[in-house]
Amino acid sequence: MHGIRKRFGGVQALNGVNLEVRAGEVHALVGENGAGKSTLMHILAGVHQPDEGRIDLDGKANVILANEHAAQQCGVAIVFQERSLFSSLSVAENIFAGRQPVKWGRIKRKQLYQDTALLLREVGLACDPKTPLSELSAAQQQMVEIAKALSLNAKLIIFDEPTAALTETETAALFRVIVDLKRRNVAVIYISHRLEEIFKIADRVTVLKDGVGQGTFEVSEITTDRLITLMVGRALSFHRAETQDVSAAPVMLEVKGLNDRSLETEVKTVLRDISFKVRQGEIVALAGLCGAGRTELALSIFGARPRDSGEIFIGGQRVEIHSPADAIAAGLAYVPEDRKEAGLFLDMTIAQNTAAGSLKEFGTWWFDDAKGHAKAEEFRNRLRIASYSAKQVVQSLSGGNQQKVVLARWLLIRPKVLIVDEPTRGIDVGAKAEVHNLIRDLARAGTAIVVISSDLPEVLAVATRMLVMREGRITGELNGTDATEEKIMRHASMKVAA
Amino acid sequence: MPEVLQAESPAPVLSARRSPKGMAFSRELGLAALTIFIIILFSVLYPVTFKSFGNFNAILRNLAFEGILAIGMMFMLVGGVFDLSVGAMASMIGVITGWLMKNAGWPVPLAVAAGLAVAAAGGFLNGYIVARVRVNALITTLGTMGVFQGIALLIGGPGITFLPESFTKFGQSEVFGVQAPVLLMVGLAAVAHYCLAHTRFFRQLYYIGSNPKAAHLSGINVERLQILSFTLMGLIAGLAGIVYASRIATATSTVGVGAELQAITAVILGGASLSGGKGTIWGALIGVFFMALMKNVLIISRVSSEWQGIILGAVLVLAVALDSIMNRKKS
Repeated sequence: MHGIRKRFGGVQALNGVNLEVRAGEVHALVGENGAGKSTLMHILAGVHQPDEGRIDLDGKANVILANEHAAQQCGVAIVFQERSLFSSLSVAENIFAGRQPVKWGRIKRKQLYQDTALLLREVGLACDPKTPLSELSAAQQQMVEIAKALSLNAKLIIFDEPTAALTETETAALFRVIVDLKRRNVAVIYISHRLEEIFKIADRVTVLKDGVGQGTFEVSEITTDRLITLMVGRALSFHRAETQDVSAAPVMLEVKGLNDRSLETEVKTVLRDISFKVRQGEIVALAGLCGAGRTELALSIFGARPRDSGEIFIGGQRVEIHSPADAIAAGLAYVPEDRKEAGLFLDMTIAQNTAAGSLKEFGTWWFDDAKGHAKAEEFRNRLRIASYSAKQVVQSLSGGNQQKVVLARWLLIRPKVLIVDEPTRGIDVGAKAEVHNLIRDLARAGTAIVVISSDLPEVLAVATRMLVMREGRITGELNGTDATEEKIMRHASMKVAA
Repeated sequence: MPEVLQAESPAPVLSARRSPKGMAFSRELGLAALTIFIIILFSVLYPVTFKSFGNFNAILRNLAFEGILAIGMMFMLVGGVFDLSVGAMASMIGVITGWLMKNAGWPVPLAVAAGLAVAAAGGFLNGYIVARVRVNALITTLGTMGVFQGIALLIGGPGITFLPESFTKFGQSEVFGVQAPVLLMVGLAAVAHYCLAHTRFFRQLYYIGSNPKAAHLSGINVERLQILSFTLMGLIAGLAGIVYASRIATATSTVGVGAELQAITAVILGGASLSGGKGTIWGALIGVFFMALMKNVLIISRVSSEWQGIILGAVLVLAVALDSIMNRKKS
């Protein structure tokens, strides 16, 4: 791949990336969340088309991968992070979805099952081809996905975070399959956040950062430290907060021994023994990679997810929180991660949206629209929500302004503790800085704030203290002054014991 | 309140995207205009048959039953769900109430109260299955529709006739020449309008209909409200069945067949959306009135009953399509 560029709306996802993968090698691709790994792989798999650049495949120069089908024809197969399987169909039907061997349009069952059995043996999965997929474990389903890639006779197989749902023994089995693929001269691209795996399995590694390639290295010649520096090292793009001393301020939020094992599987811990404190006026960031359990933690505290143990104290008082309504009553506010799906009432007005969290204030028997409107107008001006009136429908606002509407809703309830989840995802730099200022001002006014963010420069810019999570646990605590992106990444991506 | 950004100068209101006047179009007003147009047109075309007080009274009398159902249905659609069991519920409650007073010999008020209690229980059952057990509303109410209809036929056979006079007195009485069921509908609409437009409690339905997840995270008790609105719908449907039985002095087991679709049609014509979060009681009333008017003018113009169905069906699709096109142009 040569000089690949791709824009999505206002975001330059890839800006001139080169990637060269040899037959029979395992080539790792690393980078932070949003560095462009997935986009690059989607281009290679024909899901997206590049705006610029050239792809050469298997000796053929400048191939055009117009869609997934074309990419398959060229021998590219991708094992997706989110499994692209059909749970109600059998293993065989999944592997040969849409490509079942037929005679006169009729599926040749016998051959289908024979071919499947052969592929299953190759990936080391002992099960009947007729088994419904839903009866397999997550790891076994992953193996089915790999068998599907093999059935395409792929010359290049892309693994996108294949071990995220696997146990160690299953990971070992996967590695055996990969080694076997190597022996058969198949090229493998391996994407993972777990750096230790890369040193175990990969031959070479390419680092991406903000859509730009940082170079390709022999794994034997590079260290973990160097890799992390390449992934995150950059000039700070936001000015750092002057940290005020809050060590004497009262603790506003305390979480003690919070656990959630309800959805726990042998591989995936949801939340384990989480304890932390946030003081008045403090901005604590919860850093970590996607899937580390940060959003789950926030939802558990807010009563929107079950938890099986743990105590929550707000302003020193133990509170019972079983629903978001309880949480709000206790002085807690949560700005959700996905504003369109979980935050906004898109077809309603700004005023209706801002009033949603504090309907009680506007009267029980005669809802005071004028008051709701006046409040919304006040916040529209304060937060500079670009719009013509509080009566404007939220759908027609830009992302940054929509986020401000959600924030306004929670400012209206005057929370003691505010949890904001990915507050600046998908909004432009100007609006980002405004949201950061808003968060700082709130803290200065005495609110205790927890910021969940995958954007490391953002974490460093706003937070006075950082908690790093990995696999449902808090694995590190860093002070605002001596934290660096490298330190955060180390806690977030390395095994605790290592 | 932490005084956020207080230090900054009052921000200029940025980029007025489009004039607020563009938003003024609403389906309620459009339909009202169309209704008036039809009235004027047919007053000119059929000055004698159409433009008489008797004819208007007949239109109103016939719409009371569907009007009461449509009021309840508006609550449902605002909250993002609908109830297909209302017609069968009306039949069943009419028959149960009739059976209690005629066959079991209960006093009329007690029979009516019992009927309404059963109605509320049936509605609660719907709500519980949809909100707690989380079965899709279409499936749930399609199922209970069959159950309620079956119970109505089991108890009433084809129907229970010659209901006591103390019961039928209400349905057949008139005030200033307007039948009591029509007045009841208007009274119910007034109360419903007040609730939906002005009380905090029912306002929450708009949020739930618009985005249930965001509503939950905003501290709104989505489950409880949904169960309650289904219960209310059951109660209103039961009331409609009782009032109808009172008017015609007979509890017919099949009186509500197809009424659920009529009610949903009327409510959608009047501005509700199947995706929830939209609609007003006044819109529901216009929708019902428009449907009744259309039927009336089709009868007066001697359009055959086969064509009436075709025309009414086409009107529904056309109205919603027009709305969808207008909305797309706006954005």
